Amino acid sequence: MTRRLAYLLLLVAAACAEQSTAPGNCPNFCPGGSIDVHDTIFTAIIERDSTFRGYVQGFHAQAMAVVNVPGIVESRAIIATDTMIRRVAPKVGDTTTVPISIDSTRVKFVIVRRPKNTTNVRLFLYALPLTVDSTSDFASLDPAFSAPAVDSMNVSALLALPAIGDTQTVRLWGDSIRTDSAGHVLQIHATDSTLSVFFNLDTLQAPFSVPDTGRLAFGVRVTADSLASIALGTTAAVGNGPVVRFFYHYTIPDTVSATPDSVKYLDRTVATRFDGFVFNPATPPNDSNLAVGGVPSARSLLRVALPAFLHDSIDVVRATLILAPVGAVQGSVSDSFPMRALPLLADIGAKSPLSPNTTLFASTVIHIGSSDTVRVELTNLVRAWSLDTNLVTSFELVQAPEAASYTEIRFYSSRATALRPALQVTYVKRFRFGEP
Amino acid sequence: MTPIRRLGGWAVRVGCVVTVFLTAQPPNRLSAQDSQFGIRGLGTPGKWESVRARTTGGAFAPFDPFSPMTDAPLADARRMSASMASGTSWRSIDASGSTAALRATRFPALVIAGPVTSRIVVGGGFATYLDRTFGVIVHDTIDLRGQPQAVTDQITNDGAVSDVRLAVAARLGKRLALGLGLHRLTGSSRIVATRTFADTVNYRTSTARDEVAYGGTGGSASLLFDVTRDIRLGGWFRSDSKLRANIGGVTKAENDLPITYGTGVQWRAGAQATLAGTVTWRSWSSAGDSSAHDTFNWSFGAEVGRPSAPFRFGVRGGDMPFGYGKAPSEVGYSAGLGRQFSGGRGRLDIGIERLDRSGTGLKERVWTFLLGLTVRP
Repeated sequence: MTRRLAYLLLLVAAACAEQSTAPGNCPNFCPGGSIDVHDTIFTAIIERDSTFRGYVQGFHAQAMAVVNVPGIVESRAIIATDTMIRRVAPKVGDTTTVPISIDSTRVKFVIVRRPKNTTNVRLFLYALPLTVDSTSDFASLDPAFSAPAVDSMNVSALLALPAIGDTQTVRLWGDSIRTDSAGHVLQIHATDSTLSVFFNLDTLQAPFSVPDTGRLAFGVRVTADSLASIALGTTAAVGNGPVVRFFYHYTIPDTVSATPDSVKYLDRTVATRFDGFVFNPATPPNDSNLAVGGVPSARSLLRVALPAFLHDSIDVVRATLILAPVGAVQGSVSDSFPMRALPLLADIGAKSPLSPNTTLFASTVIHIGSSDTVRVELTNLVRAWSLDTNLVTSFELVQAPEAASYTEIRFYSSRATALRPALQVTYVKRFRFGEP
Repeated sequence: MTPIRRLGGWAVRVGCVVTVFLTAQPPNRLSAQDSQFGIRGLGTPGKWESVRARTTGGAFAPFDPFSPMTDAPLADARRMSASMASGTSWRSIDASGSTAALRATRFPALVIAGPVTSRIVVGGGFATYLDRTFGVIVHDTIDLRGQPQAVTDQITNDGAVSDVRLAVAARLGKRLALGLGLHRLTGSSRIVATRTFADTVNYRTSTARDEVAYGGTGGSASLLFDVTRDIRLGGWFRSDSKLRANIGGVTKAENDLPITYGTGVQWRAGAQATLAGTVTWRSWSSAGDSSAHDTFNWSFGAEVGRPSAPFRFGVRGGDMPFGYGKAPSEVGYSAGLGRQFSGGRGRLDIGIERLDRSGTGLKERVWTFLLGLTVRP
């Protein structure tokens, strides 16, 4: 009897897994309530929008735009190095120093962005005055860029060359390289598609000036068959900054007459004192529109007057910010840039702290040459606002990365009645629970 | 011999465990028989029957003290007793060519009864009044932002309206027993409505969930009259208040509940055979819109063999209260066995039931395995 009972209980237990959901045969055999979706464009929901500029300066950016689109924009990278030692102590513990002699200089740049379908990309290296700094502008440096280039490199040609991957090369460079007859070296990073390019300069190209404490300044221009636009890494981008390395030697004076003087060959990397870029035309000043990008970087702060009914009794399934550009962003197509919508922790104007909650961030790509309406999917952000009434219903539009490019987009603000920013919200009304 | 004898032994322990287990269950588990026909209405009415009564097609329910259908039979519970029923169902649905296979396990009835005097018995327990467990998946394409969007809606409802009964039965003479019952309708259902978009990149899944609490009261009266020593007549009447559906303490809906009345006859055809038949009317049409219908149900069944190990079978038929068009029909066949153990202190009932339901646009076929346990300490 006990065994039979156990079998029965086992049978019941085995059948305990519920399956109560079946395809619906509506409306006759479906619940009375339905899941209703509504889609509304709130044209007046964005209010008190503003643009603030000066968050990131060009010399703080993660990249230097080097662009040459005739008639539209030209942007040039500029760097200046720190001082270089002039004398060394040849013997440890000896206070006697000897002068060094510079043999050559190697200048490295990392190309962090480049157009893949552009041919004949050439980099030109120019010597710039040592006074170059954050106050330098396109016009003040133009004479230096008008002088003959110190060196030039055909990146496209280097890329087309076979890689040198012998053991000795890999031991010295860490990876295979490509090099041309002029001694330029190109290395493709294994982890990403960035390129490291090296200019080898002799003492005529990069003279070592003791009165200038060995400081050097260089500028970079780019040309190509079309759409010449690249970005070089800066010291703000760890590992991608410009590197200037001096190769030098000195003689160790021999105090023992029986042996001749010996020569020591060494190299030394000097710090980059300044890097940035100058471009023409410069970013225009703010106006009544909403600006995002440019140098110094501009952000637009948009405040959303969320209707009460969006806070309760609905479930937001999609929310899209609609922005009407004032005009197409001019430049090289490859300079299209991401624009992010970042929520605020508190709304205190220009210095509003940004929320660290990355799940609420939104992003879209601003395409060069397109004046189409820009749409940013703010679904996660609006859903969060809908659920938590304590959240600040404001956000900032930010270029990514900031101040790394001449590009800037401007949108009509809430002051333009017909083309003001709008929010399109798709939401599901609360299901009618409790009714058969 | 006192009505309540010693506490101890296997049957008592099992009974106590079963009682505690069942009373500790949330009401929604005390459901009976799900059906797609109840989706558009208040639900699927429960079967107020013990496993013994159910395996006779329900015909023995008005005469069975452990069937919560009527109160008067409690007068036959001359000892403290408890009975529970469980059912595991496998249900196939054919909705205009769209088929599905469902399964569920339920505990549709629990009755505890015992005499307080030699003539008066008090009882109570749970039964399912309306089962509201179902799930529906609907695929559709809607126009959204000028683009067709494929969506999938899933609405699941897990719960039931339970009937908590306190009843008293008295034997008014050798031939007449009267029963009265107070009923508290209670329960809840957890509803989840989910819409999923095929475009998961741009559209988030919408999920709404809530819990609906149900409430209501009712009263019942029933009578058993022994025409002869072998023939017993039964009649019963029940009326309930409106069924309120509350969410967060706010009444969202009120629906009339039906008046129930019926009659039955039981014939003891010798020492090892008993036959019974019943008819029941319920005014469900007042409970909803045009999809609600008054119902008439009938049943016939028999129990043959030794009282300690009988074989039972039955047939039932009639209407279901909710359905599009005319009232859906239900025909059922059932059979089962009973077995006493521990010297009659316990009884195990098993059974199998087959139900065929048919309505406009929908057919259901249900196999249910029934398991019942009755203990008399």
